[in-house]
Amino acid sequence: MRAALVIARKDLRQRVRDRSAIILGLVAPVAIAALMSLAFNGADTFHFTLGLVDQDHGPVATALRQNLELPALRRIVTLKVLDSEAQAREEVRSQRVAAALVIPPGFSAAATSSASSALHTLSSVNNTIAADVSRSIASSFVAQINADRLSVATAIASGSPTSRAAVLAAAATDLRIPEQLVQRPLGAHPVKVVSYYAPAMAILFLFFTISFSSRSFFAERAQGLIERLRAAPVHPAEILLGKVLSVFVFGVASLGMVWLVTAAAFGADWGAPAAAGLVCASLVVATVCLTALVIGLARTQRQAEGIASAVVFILALVGGNFVFISTAPSVMRRLALFTPNGWALRAFTDLSTTGGGLHTVAVPVLAILAFSGVVGAAAVRLAYRAVTA
Amino acid sequence: MTPIAIAKASLQRVVRDRRALFFMIALPILVIIIIGATVRGYNRFSVGVVDLGSGRAGHDLVAALADSSDLTVHAYRSTASATTAVARGEVSLALVLPASMDAGLRAGRSVAVTALTEEASTTQEAAYNAVASVVASQGSRLQAARFATSVQGGTLDQNLSRAASLEARVPVVAVETLQVDARSNTLPEGFSYSTPTMLVLFVFINTLTGAASIIETRRLGMYERMSVAPVRPRAIVAGEAMSLVTLSLLQALLIVGTGALLFGVSWGDPLAAATLVVLWAVVAAGVGLLAGTLFRSPEQASALGPTLGILFGMLGGCMWPLSIVSPAVRAIGHATPHAWAVDAWTALIARGAGFAGIATDLAVLVAFAVALMALATWRLGRRLV
Amino acid sequence: MGTPAGFLRCDSVSKSFDGRVAVDAVSFEMGRGEVYGLLGPNGAGKTTTIKMVCGLIEPDGGAITVDGRSSRDLAARSLVGYVPQEVALYPDLTAAENLSFFCRLYGLRGRVADERVREALELTDLADRRDDRVDAFSGGMKRRLNIAAGLLHHPALLVLDEPTVGVDPQSRHAILERVGAFKRAGMAVLYTTHYMEEAERVCDRVGIVDHGKMIAEGTRRELVAQLGEKDTIDLSAVGNLEELAHTLRGVPGVEQAAVADGRIHLLTSDGRSVLPLLIEAAGRLQVEISSVDISEANLEAVFLHLTGTALRE
Repeated sequence: MRAALVIARKDLRQRVRDRSAIILGLVAPVAIAALMSLAFNGADTFHFTLGLVDQDHGPVATALRQNLELPALRRIVTLKVLDSEAQAREEVRSQRVAAALVIPPGFSAAATSSASSALHTLSSVNNTIAADVSRSIASSFVAQINADRLSVATAIASGSPTSRAAVLAAAATDLRIPEQLVQRPLGAHPVKVVSYYAPAMAILFLFFTISFSSRSFFAERAQGLIERLRAAPVHPAEILLGKVLSVFVFGVASLGMVWLVTAAAFGADWGAPAAAGLVCASLVVATVCLTALVIGLARTQRQAEGIASAVVFILALVGGNFVFISTAPSVMRRLALFTPNGWALRAFTDLSTTGGGLHTVAVPVLAILAFSGVVGAAAVRLAYRAVTA
Repeated sequence: MTPIAIAKASLQRVVRDRRALFFMIALPILVIIIIGATVRGYNRFSVGVVDLGSGRAGHDLVAALADSSDLTVHAYRSTASATTAVARGEVSLALVLPASMDAGLRAGRSVAVTALTEEASTTQEAAYNAVASVVASQGSRLQAARFATSVQGGTLDQNLSRAASLEARVPVVAVETLQVDARSNTLPEGFSYSTPTMLVLFVFINTLTGAASIIETRRLGMYERMSVAPVRPRAIVAGEAMSLVTLSLLQALLIVGTGALLFGVSWGDPLAAATLVVLWAVVAAGVGLLAGTLFRSPEQASALGPTLGILFGMLGGCMWPLSIVSPAVRAIGHATPHAWAVDAWTALIARGAGFAGIATDLAVLVAFAVALMALATWRLGRRLV
Repeated sequence: MGTPAGFLRCDSVSKSFDGRVAVDAVSFEMGRGEVYGLLGPNGAGKTTTIKMVCGLIEPDGGAITVDGRSSRDLAARSLVGYVPQEVALYPDLTAAENLSFFCRLYGLRGRVADERVREALELTDLADRRDDRVDAFSGGMKRRLNIAAGLLHHPALLVLDEPTVGVDPQSRHAILERVGAFKRAGMAVLYTTHYMEEAERVCDRVGIVDHGKMIAEGTRRELVAQLGEKDTIDLSAVGNLEELAHTLRGVPGVEQAAVADGRIHLLTSDGRSVLPLLIEAAGRLQVEISSVDISEANLEAVFLHLTGTALRE
């Protein structure tokens, strides 16, 4: 035990002296999280400018315009009145407005009669979603009118005499569409980009220590240093334990620092401290087990680097460290749960969106520890052999 | 010829290095697949649906939602799981279709469909509007059917069918979409997005990492060899540069080929595309050579290579389109050669441009290549003397 | 003088790797105050044997004890100081940090540890470089430090694996001197080498190994005498060689004398004692000697005789 601590202390001393370790463990993840936070500042909100051309100036057109200026819509739409369709096209093309709505002349008259007419949504290929939302808003507005017309037509089709059309139309104006959408806020906060990617990048760079540590083990072995340790009155298990301890301490320190810096400087929300800390600790345990596995599987420094790189990048890709996993297809989201980092990111997302605590992370932490257990059990024997070889 | 011999030796070493092969072959393809599968979310909203036994009316609504071009629908078995999905951002909102929906509508009542949403999310509000318009159009059919039944008689279902068939014929106040331009500023969704951007990213990262370490380990042997063999520093630099360009080209060709054959990516005008590929390979080689003179050890190369590569890739628009970031960040991004390369690929693939269309981008890349190669050659030449 | 009473005992120790026999029933003993050499060519099994002594490898057969304890026990390892052939030091730590670390590994702490580190640095002349990183040291400095690291815990048995390979003559001399000092201080020193001159110079007893077997053992004299090697003397001379040869045959200690193309070949039991008589006899007979070549019986010759192969390739 004592020897393990001596070895761990020496390893940490060497690690702290190595500048690459500091760069990878602290500078890189913070820099990348900062970049992402900067890039996506404000991208969490959906808001656009909608151009409006009123060529009709009739009552229905005015009603539509007033509808567009309601407070409920103002959160997502800013209205910009334009003079002509030509101007609107130009504005949309240059994206000075995201989309535009054109009310043709004679619109109001047509709407109140049973003639057809059309509103035009001008769309740019670079912002189809703004045009789609504009179209939806306009459609909801004219839905009642169309519903009434359909009602009259259906009545006639089911047998009412056409002479009664006007009467039916009058009756139809009292109708209301019987299906309604009602909003119920959950009280959850949407996950901020930086709150997802700060942990994601921290975890990626935590995984890089697998490569670093396993490589240095083989470098030491090639230099005869492991053998020298074994010639001392030190049990091989203590050598392995010492290495494991140093990886653990460095991992915790690295994650902890990135947590502090991204939370303080970029407002990243990692969630309730105790819960987030537990997730971090369990991830470091997983990292330690993975390091032992790489040491057990590889024979040389080069091999260790190769295996470690493969393990790290595949885990990171599948687990969602590079893409916002929530928007991925469900099969990918399920695959992510085969990785410890996938569970960790899920835990952090849940913590920052629901403001939960230890109970929120119970399942993820158990999953991560289970993964560590499986990997660790496989690795322990192999790694022991690597030390005594 | 000595430079060729040197280039050959360097390439042989890379081919034998399994880690390098993983980074050059397996990883890029994996990343392309994953990012290609995920990058679809910019033009559609995801909505969840929980059907608590809503009957036919509910099914019709879900079918109409699925048909909508701006929505992707995911079904959930319970309100709890849908709630979690909304909280996680997997869907923008979740609709709960009540058990009494169909019955209530038939009985003449009005039905409210609840949309579960997050607080303060405008994305969700936009999705809400999209859903609302679908609900409204569904509801019109029901209104029409109920009206006809009450006025004229017949069953509700008969009138529903009548209403459905009449929808297309009744003169309506329509809302039509007109597209005013065809100049897309972003690459299309899916693999046509990820393959070109990953081409830019990976050729850069791999040349940067690989080159730096090759050169560094060479450097020690070179000094000894220099004193014995009549080899001029210029020949060595030329050899290293050649091997790097070859490496980059091979990597690029692998990705281009895989993209075209496996993912159905069309790379645009062949001549322009080929020029862009070669030019990017030269830029990457320049960066690699320069890195070889700046990095102090192979370990540094392995550590800093991927880091800088990811950083520049993010800035340059390889991970997400620069059109979604603020103008300031976009401008900073154009300090990297990546942004210009992605712009060129966007022009070629999304807008079908030819050589002329990417002339500016190519010119900037040429400038980058020349500057990098010159700087690297100068530094390397000094180190070898 | 130390007695061969086994401080270190190897009893019929064997080890195979993947079916290939590396060490085949090797037995030897050594005591404190003695330098025992394992002499043999590369691949003879010397390194494997001493790794078993240090407890790094488990023997397939036989037993090794250090002061009565099995070599595999941790307690035995406290008594053994191992100096590997390659420099095994942490390049990114300073000399003092390296030594301090190894002290702690052997259970030395605090003031005792500091004292040992200081002592080791002074002994190796590296006191003024104690705070410099080892990767900045020259090859010779690293080697000195490498040896010092094995001595920190004042071991009773010091095991040196080919300590002079690739070392300049001056440092080699220093190392050999140091080995003598260790012996005089009462340490048992186990020394492996493939250099015959070193074995002859510094070892009290030598075990010759080849292909995993111990083929001969004893002091230098015993080994040489055991196999009955003589000295050979080659004379190039001008004059009546036959007469000289005839005369020399009568000289005590000369067993054979033969003449062949201007040279006389003599076989003696001790060339050095015969040489003056030889020169005097040549002088009396007015034979002019132009060159004298004495090949002393040595371990190289013994090895050659026993195995038909050379000690050094």
